[in-house]
Amino acid sequence: MKKRYLYLLLLPGLLFLTVFMIIPIFLTIGTTFINDHGFSIQGYLDFFKDRYFVEILLTTLRVSLFTTILCILLGFPAAYYISKLKQRKKAIMLLLTIFPLLTSPVVRSFSWMVIIGKNGVVNKVLLSIGLIEKPLDILYTPTAIIIGLVHLFLPLIIVTLVGVMENIETDLLKAAESLGASRLAVFSKVVIPLSVPGLVIGSILVFVGSFTAYTTPALLGGKQRVISTFLYQNAITLNEWQVASIVATIMIAVTVLIISIMNGLAKKLNPKG
Amino acid sequence: MKKIISLFMMISVFTLVLAACSSKEEGKGKPAKLVVSTWGFADDFFRPEVYAPFEKEHNVKIVVDSGNNADRLNKVRQANSDVDVIYLSDYYAQQGIDEGLFEKIDAAKVPNMKHIYDQAKAPNGADYGPAYTIAQFGIAYNPDEVSAPISSWKDLWSKDLKGKITIPSITSTTGPMFLDAASNVSGSKEFNEDKAFAQMKKIMPNAVKEYGQTSEFVNMFSQGEIAAGPIMEMYFGDLKEAVPNAKFIAPKEGGYAVMNTVNIVKASDQKELAAEFMNYILSKEVQEKSAKAKIDSPVNTEVKLSEKEATGLTYGDDVINSLRVLDMKFVNESSKQWIDRWNRELAH
Repeated sequence: MKKRYLYLLLLPGLLFLTVFMIIPIFLTIGTTFINDHGFSIQGYLDFFKDRYFVEILLTTLRVSLFTTILCILLGFPAAYYISKLKQRKKAIMLLLTIFPLLTSPVVRSFSWMVIIGKNGVVNKVLLSIGLIEKPLDILYTPTAIIIGLVHLFLPLIIVTLVGVMENIETDLLKAAESLGASRLAVFSKVVIPLSVPGLVIGSILVFVGSFTAYTTPALLGGKQRVISTFLYQNAITLNEWQVASIVATIMIAVTVLIISIMNGLAKKLNPKG
Repeated sequence: MKKIISLFMMISVFTLVLAACSSKEEGKGKPAKLVVSTWGFADDFFRPEVYAPFEKEHNVKIVVDSGNNADRLNKVRQANSDVDVIYLSDYYAQQGIDEGLFEKIDAAKVPNMKHIYDQAKAPNGADYGPAYTIAQFGIAYNPDEVSAPISSWKDLWSKDLKGKITIPSITSTTGPMFLDAASNVSGSKEFNEDKAFAQMKKIMPNAVKEYGQTSEFVNMFSQGEIAAGPIMEMYFGDLKEAVPNAKFIAPKEGGYAVMNTVNIVKASDQKELAAEFMNYILSKEVQEKSAKAKIDSPVNTEVKLSEKEATGLTYGDDVINSLRVLDMKFVNESSKQWIDRWNRELAH
């Protein structure tokens, strides 16, 4: 096959995305700027003046941020360990890592209800060893959402990190050690900087995923709303598609903003990367 | 490359064969198709006991489209569904009616209307679909987890129930009923929005979560996350299964009537058949069957149940007549504002 015809292979996918994703997204965004009098950004102004909405947005951002940080803290060491394993063991560990992704978020959320509920395993154990006198309220709080989301997205960050860490040459580490660097120094001066690309991609996946997650917050969260449940309420129950579109556009904008901030940070951390 | 091409060929041949099969099947008996949009609970009862006899009698194939009220109403709104008959709670039916989505009912074509309770005849105005069941919205509680028995709506405000109840979300069918109960508890005779919201604010410390679907309530109750809460009587059986001691009470201020209605969609191409179906589900035969299976409380007054058969059901003239009925037109007109106030003032 001649090389210049190769781009034809892109066409089916491109066509699909254009018709089913790009056009609908632009239509959605377009309608938010039009009201009875033509072009207007009033809808957005109303939103950001509204303390109630800003509060929902901030809660969502806070939950997503905590989830991302926790995922990094838990995922980084795990990924480093897995990347050091032999081929066979590594395959098994990776399979185990992505295992949570194979069950539906509904099932996972329900199992968390059983674990962290008032009569759940955690509270029963803590009560029986006398650490607490009354069951802890974990379920139906933002903490429960964070727990559920970390469980959901940890595999994503581990898998991306393993991919990057595998490509770090062992020679580099040996060179660093032979030049007198301690193990800790090797880890912090060589491994971490070289893992930054994976860290960035993984964090973006986790952050964006948590920001837009619906099932987990809807099932594990309490009275507090997050932005996706708010959007759902407007679109499905209230039939307020205009408001829902504005919320959706704000979500897209925040996502793009976060991705560019993270990319900027990554460049600073790893100027030669 | 050759491999890929042959794979493509195989796939396309395979799909062609499948397509041929399916079109053959359609050509065979040609029964009419009636699409019924419903919640989908107790499907294993409805299919053999309710749909199958109707299918046989009218040479029709009933296709069920299931989901919650809001989702299904939205499908009809977007006009890309082929739903003929739609089951909705009165709250959502009113929305559909106000938007002109449903056909007016010709009572002459639904003769069984004569045999049902007056309250059920026209929950959303004389021209639209009847209620095929009336359920009571009251309170369920676990006597082992509360310090004093519950007998009124007011009791749910008790300090002893802090973090021990759930309340219906304002967007669910029973949400506005609970808001009305709150207004009542505040001491106002007529519904008073400001007082109702002020009263609701006081109950929020007691509520761990708002529930949107009754299954959430059942779950929280069986897991011991909550000890009490307002719920529809028809789901009490599920609670009792998980917590045998559970009690359901009709609050002394009065429970509320939750009416589940049937309507014919305006865009339907099977309106005659749809009216037949409506008449059929109001018949003594079907109403008695679903009552005895404890699926739906009957509205047909000819259905007579023994005391044992009636437990768990909302049954009997005096019970039905004691229920408070909300004006759905008013609810629908105010619901947007209520939802907004609820979000702002209560959901934190």
